[in-house]
Amino acid sequence: MLQAPFDPVALAVPFFVLAVILEIALAKARVAHAHYETKDTFASLGMGFGRNIFGVLTAGITFAATIWVWSHRAFTVPFGAWWGWVAVFFLEDLTYYWFHRLSHERRFWWAAHVNHHSSQHYNLSTALRQTWTGGLSGTWLLWLPLAWLGFSPAQIAIQQGISLVYQFWIHTEAIKRMPAWFEAVFNTPSHHRVHHARNPRYLDRNYAGILIIWDRMFGTFEPELDAEPPRYGIVKNLADFNLLRVAFHEWIAIGKDLAGSRSPREVVGYLFGPPGWSPDGSRDTSTMLKAQWRAEQSRRDA
Amino acid sequence: MIDKAYLIQTGGSAVAVGVLIALAAWAKISKPAPPLSDVRARALFADEFPGKALDSLWVTVDGRGALARSGASALVLCEVGDGYVARHIPWAQALASTFRDGVLRLDLADIAAPKATLAFDAWPPAGLV
Repeated sequence: MLQAPFDPVALAVPFFVLAVILEIALAKARVAHAHYETKDTFASLGMGFGRNIFGVLTAGITFAATIWVWSHRAFTVPFGAWWGWVAVFFLEDLTYYWFHRLSHERRFWWAAHVNHHSSQHYNLSTALRQTWTGGLSGTWLLWLPLAWLGFSPAQIAIQQGISLVYQFWIHTEAIKRMPAWFEAVFNTPSHHRVHHARNPRYLDRNYAGILIIWDRMFGTFEPELDAEPPRYGIVKNLADFNLLRVAFHEWIAIGKDLAGSRSPREVVGYLFGPPGWSPDGSRDTSTMLKAQWRAEQSRRDA
Repeated sequence: MIDKAYLIQTGGSAVAVGVLIALAAWAKISKPAPPLSDVRARALFADEFPGKALDSLWVTVDGRGALARSGASALVLCEVGDGYVARHIPWAQALASTFRDGVLRLDLADIAAPKATLAFDAWPPAGLV
């Protein structure tokens, strides 16, 4: 099957709206913990709305490429087979983990993803602060092996949609912890708060989509500590809520760095090095920030 | 050709976005952001620049920002919404920045935060060594 018979994200939009209303109402009534700042909410929802427009620009290419690869597939997974849905659930989630890790650890893809982390708030509207340039960054290529394995474009699209819908509800401070068995297996609000935090301890951790098991397997899991509440945002926060700045600031910064590059090594470093890479080490990468933080901790403990 | 369903979905999303922003504005549930005190400014600088000792600290007259000297660096803190943005620039550059009508204008040379404006009674501060 080529075209998905339904779009989980489109079906979930009314739920998204109602959930945000509920979170605001519960926070207003002081029943739940949540903060909403008007301009920040505008930026988050504006990015989500803009994604609808920008997504159309690359959707055709992505779809065509997926169909082409699927037409050269190694196997055929029947759309109606239950085992096919189980397999695509795990394989798509594993693909998401590596996409997400790449999007944090290499600057070219971070430029497309950074906007999602640019809010200093963590509420359900933050979930909708989506990228405008994800399609252009080419990360969709990572899902093509699933089509080659024989999963139909429709099956892949539906599972991607389910993953996106799942990840909506975990963007909240209103839920402290889920039951232990759930926290052990699934991505939860607690695990994802860590992912959105900019405390050095929490940087570049918990890349999971639906299952947190991948972080546990690949050594990127970090639990949320009550003693260290997450501080949200990015290492160098934005100075305003201008949507164009939110969407494009890292791309412009890359362009400026490339214009000042003096060697192929610098070009490669600025494009594909970790965010914060610089030829002379004068800027801070996550690794450097963590090292500075550990040194400070050791100094205090001594 | 853009199909009708897409247009309806986009139009509906635009309306929903407007309603949710209005609701967030009405609810007034942003983080409390009282004017900065020296203690709070020091705590924020410690979060933003762990391990950097502050030689001197100046909190703005409106409590919406602060500037600190740390060796050869000027550490800058500015309110944005109910949060803060922080950057560091060379101290000499901060010292030479434009000060007019009680406002210090700092060029942060960063596309994510191009400039900072801080309200002080005077700049450079009296008694600066």
